[in-house]
Amino acid sequence: MIAKHNNRLSTAKLREAFFLALYKKVFPNVARYISRMGGSLDEAQDIFQDTLVIYYEKLTSTQNEVILNEGAYLLGIAKKLWFQRHQAITKNQPLNDFDIEVVADEQPATGKILHYLETAGMKCMELLKAYYYDRLPADNVAKLFGYSGTHSATVAKYKCMEKVRETIKQKSLKYADFIE
Amino acid sequence: MRTSLNKIKAIEDYLLGSMAPGDVLLFEANILLNSDLIDDIKYQQSTYSIIRQYSRQNIKAEIKAVQETLTTAPQHRDFRQYIANFFKKH
Repeated sequence: MIAKHNNRLSTAKLREAFFLALYKKVFPNVARYISRMGGSLDEAQDIFQDTLVIYYEKLTSTQNEVILNEGAYLLGIAKKLWFQRHQAITKNQPLNDFDIEVVADEQPATGKILHYLETAGMKCMELLKAYYYDRLPADNVAKLFGYSGTHSATVAKYKCMEKVRETIKQKSLKYADFIE
Repeated sequence: MRTSLNKIKAIEDYLLGSMAPGDVLLFEANILLNSDLIDDIKYQQSTYSIIRQYSRQNIKAEIKAVQETLTTAPQHRDFRQYIANFFKKH
């Protein structure tokens, strides 16, 4: 379950360079398109942020889809987001019907639990992010988080899962709207 | 690994579809018999969802920081001007 692009995106520094290069290379085309469609610079920036989140998730996913033209691919996502956003605004509907999955509106209880975990369990959340979202290989995770080897890092992952799951369980009893 | 961690791994293998077919049958039989296991599965699914939301927030924050750099840093002034020109007519 390791993504092929993970090593070049494994640290915040590498991702910063990656996103900066994409801004320089692709954002002008996206901005030109949004401008022609009557949108504002703020809208172009918002859409491009979501475009990059989607692209990052595509690159770190386990799917082996080959993207031949990165610029055209990103512009395609941005166009789709623009139309979905525009359509939702004209129909006065919430933005919850993406077939490209974008950051969804979260329930209030999820926000509270997330906030708690960000403050009380930051290290665990970072470790779990590296495994399940960035999909870094175990040896890379071990190196980044200072574990002696892949076994230690894997055990730490499951300990963190246990800790976070228990927190969610406890908090869910308090915030009834979290589960289901 | 201790037993509780092995249980988490088993739930993960089951949810992510990486469990051997024979083990899946046994696991599903356990689900029928053990209501605590159902709760554990439910909360573990919620955990994956929370990890995803946390991670997306973080990636989006990194992207916004890059955009902020482009919006403010002197070395990107020409780029800013280039982009701003698209929106001058509005």
